[in-house]
Amino acid sequence: MAEVAASMSGDALRREAVSRDALGPSGTKPRHVLSRRNILLYGTLIVVALYYLLPLYVMIVTSLKGMPEIRLGNIFSPPLEITFEPWVKAWASACTGLNCDGLSRGFWNSVRITVPSVLLSIAIASVNGYALANWRFKGADTFFIILIVGAFIPYQVMIYPIVIILREIGIYGTLTGLVIVHSIFGMPILTLLFRNYFTSMPEELFRAARVDGAGFWGIYLRIMLPMSMPIFVVAVILQVTGIWNDFLFGVVYTRPDTYPMTVQLNNIVNSVQGVKEYNVNMAATILTGLVPLIVYFVSGKLFVRGIAAGAVKG
Amino acid sequence: MEAAIANPSVSIQNLSLNYGAVSVLQTLNLDVAEGEFIVLLGPSGCGKSTLLNCIAGLLDISEGRIFIKGKNVTWEEPKDRGIGMVFQSYALYPQMTVEKNLSFGLRVAGVPKDEIAKRIARAAEILQIGPLLQRKPSALSGGQRQRVAIGRALVRDVDVFLFDEPLSNLDAKLRSELRVEIKLLHRNLQNTMIYVTHDQIEAMTLADRIAVMKGGVIQQLDAPQTIYNRPVNRFVAGFLGSPAMNFLKGHLEAGEAPVFKADGVSVPLGRYQFDGDGSRAAKPCVFGIRPEHIALGEAARAMPFTAESTVEIVDPMGSDTLVWTKLGGQILSFRVEADKTLRNGDAIRIGFDPARASLFDADTDRRL
Repeated sequence: MAEVAASMSGDALRREAVSRDALGPSGTKPRHVLSRRNILLYGTLIVVALYYLLPLYVMIVTSLKGMPEIRLGNIFSPPLEITFEPWVKAWASACTGLNCDGLSRGFWNSVRITVPSVLLSIAIASVNGYALANWRFKGADTFFIILIVGAFIPYQVMIYPIVIILREIGIYGTLTGLVIVHSIFGMPILTLLFRNYFTSMPEELFRAARVDGAGFWGIYLRIMLPMSMPIFVVAVILQVTGIWNDFLFGVVYTRPDTYPMTVQLNNIVNSVQGVKEYNVNMAATILTGLVPLIVYFVSGKLFVRGIAAGAVKG
Repeated sequence: MEAAIANPSVSIQNLSLNYGAVSVLQTLNLDVAEGEFIVLLGPSGCGKSTLLNCIAGLLDISEGRIFIKGKNVTWEEPKDRGIGMVFQSYALYPQMTVEKNLSFGLRVAGVPKDEIAKRIARAAEILQIGPLLQRKPSALSGGQRQRVAIGRALVRDVDVFLFDEPLSNLDAKLRSELRVEIKLLHRNLQNTMIYVTHDQIEAMTLADRIAVMKGGVIQQLDAPQTIYNRPVNRFVAGFLGSPAMNFLKGHLEAGEAPVFKADGVSVPLGRYQFDGDGSRAAKPCVFGIRPEHIALGEAARAMPFTAESTVEIVDPMGSDTLVWTKLGGQILSFRVEADKTLRNGDAIRIGFDPARASLFDADTDRRL
């Protein structure tokens, strides 16, 4: 406290000195790159960043070591001998249950689950949001509230009923079933996202399009869609990461030969028999996390813009 | 209100619009003649934009009927009503070039390509936006955007143009420029135009007739000069004219020669034209006189009514000067030429002709 007071009175003195100076301050305010404030701020940021990056570093380093080197126990030391064998094994020949073709099987399963789920859920949710925002039908508010409440119901409650429903329809254990489940569970949050985005668009634009004679689909496809790329990017990111990282639905609604990558990863890492191959586990984990990571890196800027546009307004 | 128009271009009959219990428009009737320029004028929330949206078909009405060109369009879609609309925020499609913006409606309607090109060329020539056709709206200035928005209504070859506060987003200079352009456009096209604004200068300069609205009801529908000189009630009188009309509270003394009396002031109303005849009974009333109808000094002596007063505040406005004074203890403002040098506290003589004044019933606010 005393220090603060001292520095403040110092500031005051300096200010007085400046104002007494005939010239006084003028022009650009000088910036001190190495001020105490900057050092503290950036120092903290760097330390925190390092702290969060450390596990990733350990994973990468471990995945590049051979087992003998790992057994030495120096988890932070860089590999003496770089080997890519764990990566190859994780991808192509690690065993889960009876299958010994590595994560590649799970990867393609995940692709076949994620792509249709993302496309289907976004296609439906964006039309939902557009209808809720622009075509105020009777009971629209009630419908919207029900949809939002849906977002707060824990998934676990619905797992067993859905198992029964899928079984009765005859698609239990198939990828189609899982795609439908993912699409339905993405609906509340995506509809909210799209509705808020479309609500924030100028109402007059919609009216102008109606005067110009465009109908429900005409306005959606030719006016709204081209204007809402940022929110579509956000939706794609949310859905790709959410569905790719999903474990629960994947393990419940599929069979071993259609397991998504996350379930397969779990089976590799948590195998209770044989040697724990830490390097293979690390490589497998990085491989599985790579898809969402790439999505984030490629679309980071758009993501922030879309979130800001969609979430704040409305 | 006045003689029915024989072949109205737009005819609104007993139109009401309610949102639940809230009544936005109440049993409204309006006939617009072919080629007429009608301005809907009123403060925000008076229902003028709502009425325009009802005419356009963008809002479903609760009761009544709307005819455009003799056709009942009450249940028609906006595109089938033969209207073009210009919005306050321009509402240009941001991802399309100017040309695509103009042609969007035509493309939706499936008009042949050469016909589209012909109409765009014509609109571009009328509005002088030829060089802008390949630009996106974001690369245009406000005035250019509004011109494109007008063009979008123009290419659709409609009977009726609807303008929803088209100039409100522009700065003062552009606004007056575009005002003149809209007036010229109307003279050249001779289309029916319905124009919504809260700007009384736009209303006065553009309109053939003005409909002054308040609370979802048309207060007065008349030529601009009539509305200006003979407002039907105190709201219309106060809303039109800048600086606003002066109102003096007092009462009317009936008799052979009616007189308006307030504290120490008595204005003979011999020259005042009363509305109707049964309203000359003695009653409290409000006397309204416009600042530009009050004369000063020598000119005041020639007026039927004169009074002594002192200057309270002087507001120079460039083209002229507004002087605030008191008459019978009530505040009064009047206009003088800018070169008159008046100072606070100066003793002055003011005068006016009661024939140019407006007298309102204090209870009903109606013109007497």
